Amino acid sequence: MLIQILNGIVYGGLLYLLAVGLVLIFGLREVVNFAHGALFMVGAYLGFSIAAMGYWWGGLLVSVVAMAIVGCLLDAMVFSTLRKQDHIVTVLVTFGILLILETVVTKVWGKAYLTYPVPPLLAGTINIGGSPFPVYRLFVIAVSVAVAVSLSVWLRYTRTGLYIRAASTDARVTSMQGINVDRLSLIVVGLGTALAGLSGVVAGPLLSLSPTMGNYILIDSFIVVVIGGLGSFAGAFVAALLIGQIHNFGAVYLPWAATVLPFMLMVGILIWRPTGFAGSRT
Amino acid sequence: MTSLTASGLPASRRKPAGYAALIAVAVLALAVGAALPWLVPTKIAMSLLAQAMFDALLATSVGFLILQNGRTSFGQAAFFGLGGYAMGVLIARQWVAPEAAVLIALILPTAVAFLLGLVISRITGVAHAMLTLAVGQAFYEVVFRWRELAKGDDGMSFDLPAQMFGFSARKLQDPAVMLVLAWTVLVLVLLGLALFARSRIGQVAAAIRDNEERARFLGYSTVMPRALVYAIAAFIAAIAGILQASYNGYIAPQMFHWSTSGFALIMAIIGGAKFIIGPAIGAVVLFYIKDYAGQFAEYWPAIVGVILVIVTLTMPRGVVGLALMLWRRGTRR
Repeated sequence: MLIQILNGIVYGGLLYLLAVGLVLIFGLREVVNFAHGALFMVGAYLGFSIAAMGYWWGGLLVSVVAMAIVGCLLDAMVFSTLRKQDHIVTVLVTFGILLILETVVTKVWGKAYLTYPVPPLLAGTINIGGSPFPVYRLFVIAVSVAVAVSLSVWLRYTRTGLYIRAASTDARVTSMQGINVDRLSLIVVGLGTALAGLSGVVAGPLLSLSPTMGNYILIDSFIVVVIGGLGSFAGAFVAALLIGQIHNFGAVYLPWAATVLPFMLMVGILIWRPTGFAGSRT
Repeated sequence: MTSLTASGLPASRRKPAGYAALIAVAVLALAVGAALPWLVPTKIAMSLLAQAMFDALLATSVGFLILQNGRTSFGQAAFFGLGGYAMGVLIARQWVAPEAAVLIALILPTAVAFLLGLVISRITGVAHAMLTLAVGQAFYEVVFRWRELAKGDDGMSFDLPAQMFGFSARKLQDPAVMLVLAWTVLVLVLLGLALFARSRIGQVAAAIRDNEERARFLGYSTVMPRALVYAIAAFIAAIAGILQASYNGYIAPQMFHWSTSGFALIMAIIGGAKFIIGPAIGAVVLFYIKDYAGQFAEYWPAIVGVILVIVTLTMPRGVVGLALMLWRRGTRR
């Protein structure tokens, strides 16, 4: 039972890493990055290639940095250029990027499933409540908790965090106060995609690598973001843990309905509260 | 600001083409359709064009939702698949008469879309895109896992019955017959949508799209017209699904997949979602590019991605918008 809950937290943690990136980007740019799952996938493949050379932690670092750079480029070249257009246009462009990235990865790494190794440091299991539990899964939980804590501290107690919260509430008024929202957005989008790269690498050893690995988890993280209320960090956190548990308990106790449960929960919540738990601003 | 949702259409200031002109164009298009088997040289070309017609119907469904509701759907394949699966499963199991199977395959997706529309239509913009994607994918997951329904991932082939509505149904798998049928259906659907856009309810739907609060203030119910547009869009998608399933004699979960929805949306955007005929044109254009790109087929998604990015960035009103602009510029001189 305890193990089941922990497994649910592991998946919920991964979802949180992706969903919070989407929320960060949405806050400033009011667009949803449909390429987020593709960046997750590219991050995982990059990390894999470097891990295969024997540098597991190097792979993690390179992937996070590379995805941060990709995010900054995305912001500067797409989000910033299209900010005066209908937001759906930007979404369509990110959808186009998703198609391009999937094809490129299929070309470079092939379609076959690849197995990401677990770093030697985190191999093995420990005993929790009398059952063995892989250390690596605890590491995944630790990473998501660390990200959640440092992100909320950063947003709450630093000046940049204050600016970001202000810009997420109203980007125009914030820029009138003399804050460079475009530069802020560069940081935020870069951070959001870096988190996608991070979760890609961290998820690598748990899932198997394939060019479409990002799609499934992207849709789950969309559900998280919609349930949590678009643009809400706390909402995303709660919803990610909830979906993680549902995903896991569903798979164990209701296997025939497991994949549909999150969707049903989402529709139910939207009937009850059309803007999600925390309310959305769109 | 808006570039996809049609607000402040310049066309509304000009007198719209009369009903007579509209019907004349439709009759002409139907006549061309009847002559197609003699105009298209080979069976293979006919088969390709027939499949382009299925894409055109699905893209028209997505485009209609954008045009009339201002909502971008990433999950329209749900109703395409639902139509195809209802048809395929009912005919393969022979639970009902084939005619009834067709009717159920038309009504079921329409009713589901109407009910979903009551909930989903309250959600706007980007959230709506995410939501429809998730809903569409839920259907995909169900048919993918539920192996007893139609063999899950493998897909299921089925034989058409000998007779349907008094015709020999097997003829539906003849490219020439299917091409004429699909073309005719497409023309009638486009005509129907053009008439809907001029009707009272269509005008109300457009008013709600442009300013929901004001429409409500004027005393209109804003939920019903929206849900109705959802239902009509799903009906069109279901027709496409039924035609494709009948033509191939095969159904597979790919019909529900988000890439099917996504490609339909891309066709609608490339053609120009501000025009009723735009999505259909986009589907045909993309179809021929794909045919031409044959040897690069493995890069096809990337090619589509690049085309999509270029079109959205450089010609937000799509191919039809571009053609119209060039035409106006040409006639002014």
